[in-house]
Amino acid sequence: MKRRLSLVLAAMLVIAACGTKAGDQGSSGSDASGVKTDLGVTANELTLGVMTDMTGPFKNLSIGITHGNQLWVNDFNAAGGVCGRQVKLEVVDHAYKADTAKTLYPQLEPKVLGFVQVVGSPIMAALKQNIKSDKVTTTPASWSSELLDNPYVMIVGTTYDVEMIDGMSYLQEQGMIKDGDTVGHIYIDGEYGANGLRGSRYYAQKHGLNLREVKITSSDNDLTNIVTGLRGEGVKAIMLTTTPAQTGSVAAANKALGLNVPLLGNNPTFDPVLLNSPAANALDRLYVVASSVPVAADVPKAKEVLSKYKAAKFPEPPNAGVPYGYAVAEVWGSVLKKACDNKDLTRDGILTALQQTTSADTGDLVAALDFSKPGAPPTREVYVAQPDASVEGGIKYVKPLFEAPDAKDYVAPHQK
Amino acid sequence: MSELATRATVTSASAKAPAKPVRWLRLAAWLALLALLLVLPLYLGSEWLKAGQWMMTGAVGSIGLTMLVGQAGQLSLAHAFFLLMGGTTYTVLASGTEDGRVIGFELNPLFSMVAAIVVTALLGLAFAPVSGRLRGIYLGVASLSLVFIGLYFGQSADRLTGGTSTGRTPAPFELFGITFDNSGGLVVLGVPFRQAEKMWYLYLALTVIAFVLARGAVNSRVGRSWRAVRDHEASAAAMGVSVARAKAGAFAVSSAYAGLAGVMTVLWFDILKPDENEFGTYGINVSIAYLAMVIIGGLGSIGGALVGALIVFGLPQVLSLYSTQLGIFTGSGEGAFTPILVSTFVYGAAIILVVLFEPGGLAAIGRRITGGLHRERKKEGTSR
Repeated sequence: MKRRLSLVLAAMLVIAACGTKAGDQGSSGSDASGVKTDLGVTANELTLGVMTDMTGPFKNLSIGITHGNQLWVNDFNAAGGVCGRQVKLEVVDHAYKADTAKTLYPQLEPKVLGFVQVVGSPIMAALKQNIKSDKVTTTPASWSSELLDNPYVMIVGTTYDVEMIDGMSYLQEQGMIKDGDTVGHIYIDGEYGANGLRGSRYYAQKHGLNLREVKITSSDNDLTNIVTGLRGEGVKAIMLTTTPAQTGSVAAANKALGLNVPLLGNNPTFDPVLLNSPAANALDRLYVVASSVPVAADVPKAKEVLSKYKAAKFPEPPNAGVPYGYAVAEVWGSVLKKACDNKDLTRDGILTALQQTTSADTGDLVAALDFSKPGAPPTREVYVAQPDASVEGGIKYVKPLFEAPDAKDYVAPHQK
Repeated sequence: MSELATRATVTSASAKAPAKPVRWLRLAAWLALLALLLVLPLYLGSEWLKAGQWMMTGAVGSIGLTMLVGQAGQLSLAHAFFLLMGGTTYTVLASGTEDGRVIGFELNPLFSMVAAIVVTALLGLAFAPVSGRLRGIYLGVASLSLVFIGLYFGQSADRLTGGTSTGRTPAPFELFGITFDNSGGLVVLGVPFRQAEKMWYLYLALTVIAFVLARGAVNSRVGRSWRAVRDHEASAAAMGVSVARAKAGAFAVSSAYAGLAGVMTVLWFDILKPDENEFGTYGINVSIAYLAMVIIGGLGSIGGALVGALIVFGLPQVLSLYSTQLGIFTGSGEGAFTPILVSTFVYGAAIILVVLFEPGGLAAIGRRITGGLHRERKKEGTSR
């Protein structure tokens, strides 16, 4: 028995000594034209990673974003790519599960130069340390200014707190609220809600508003009693940092209880499916603030993306993820071009190029972006929109891009 | 539940005390497995190591739960709560204050880990007045309340947990001057030892210790008293077992295991982030996943709990890694057949099949195989 055991152990050692995984590290160096490269770049290909949710709770938006990314890749490669290289996407599905994302990450990370899309705040939280230590520039599909303490995070668009400040000043400008009023803010506990609340607190403090904060969880679906409570407080407007279903519930209660105050929602609070829900005719008091355009925006570039989307015959109906996904990738395109001009397509080179990007232009799909100030949102401009069942995507603009003076003075949590 | 547990022991009792050669064979098999696990980091990529560490985290937690549910006959759905408590205690004790945003003591990580185990054991003991009075499904429902207390704790005690918004970073584990992160240029047989490789050995050591201690407990007086209480409280009391003490002890031990699994969870994620709603890293779904491991493995069997963890925590990981490598189960949107979905089906089906056809779980199947081997050897012996 003992002999057998020692045989097994000896065999293990022999196997261990020869042929381990040693020596399969990433290569680095320069190519013939003097462009430095390390991970994710070969002689004629450049790979960008996509960690998305194709089967979980955010699949509609995520699939839209992924298709948008792909449309851009097709256009970019047709135009010649960058530094003589074609861009390729490597897509994985984590189904919005942080543990799956955590395992998929080490498999994907050595193959990519950067991540053009990482869906979900729980996933971003779990990968935060990895992104820092691997120095891999990442665009999250999440707009919290709390993420900006990581220099490798590239947020395309403005953040929830700034959206709120801009949105509230729009309400004030339109005479829907005035200094000293009582207003309510219903928010989901967590990164999303806390960041939206940060904005409304700032605005309330500046204008002496009496802010009533109501914390909920993302699984609460009937908010009638909360709206009843806010009516009792005499609120003049309700801010929302909620899920679309919760937005519908608040809108319905707002009408049914005869409160009928304006509702102001962050960009994820609206989903076109609300227009087919029982709350559909209660949505006329809802205002949505966002820095990236909806599908049917009256912007030439958005129309072009929509027609390309239709031509590509994707099975899913288009949503706001498509122009956003295209715009994000477009920003990546300008960063890649800058890195190529610097002759440095390494991960460090991408970060340098990002910080040099002071005017990323997406053809008005997203407000003009400036990544040169670490910790600050790259833009503070938003659109204001209202639901409208008659247009494609279900939402139309009521105010074009603008930046409120209060938003300009606002200091984001990690702004230097 | 208790009926299921009783049936499981009947099978285990009939297969008790195998003859010497079988016991040797079993030991040799365990040692071979251990040797294999020891050399794996030299061959596997870090993504597979990461998946393996997640399975070991599940194994430690499910060993704790199988002692409580299978051996002591107490249904608990509170495992996720103790995971959160363990993870939080470790992080608060071992990490810094992050510029005064949170409370941190920067104590020795090993000490913090032990403290986390002690704190969760005490919390489990504090639940004794409830666990001693209730039985079966009623205890299960009562213990579920702890998960909601944990949810509330995570959201409101943000000076400890870092809050649901950003969470906080746990200090990396440190032992004998080795930090378990990417730092340090340790190279073994040409393989650079970074976080994934070092953590593998840490997790393996913790799992082995947890396993050996649990085996010891189950095969000793303590384990007998648990089984006696589970099978018949009155007769256990008549035999001189303190029922209340045995029940409280089982809950405390199981909570301590969950506490350790909680520390392993935050170290694995590199972040302590309490849940925003009841489905998350420390939510109901996790409590149920642990219960599934225990049921699939065979209630009360320590080895079975390991296999249960392999299936419930391992399958989604392995399937998604393989499918991205090979490009199988692709597709998106409504009705897509994805690794996550496939693994959910497999473990759902496993539970149903186990409950219907083999209430003793995978452990009973294992015992039948080794039992069969044992009988064959005996036959060989008599014919010779």
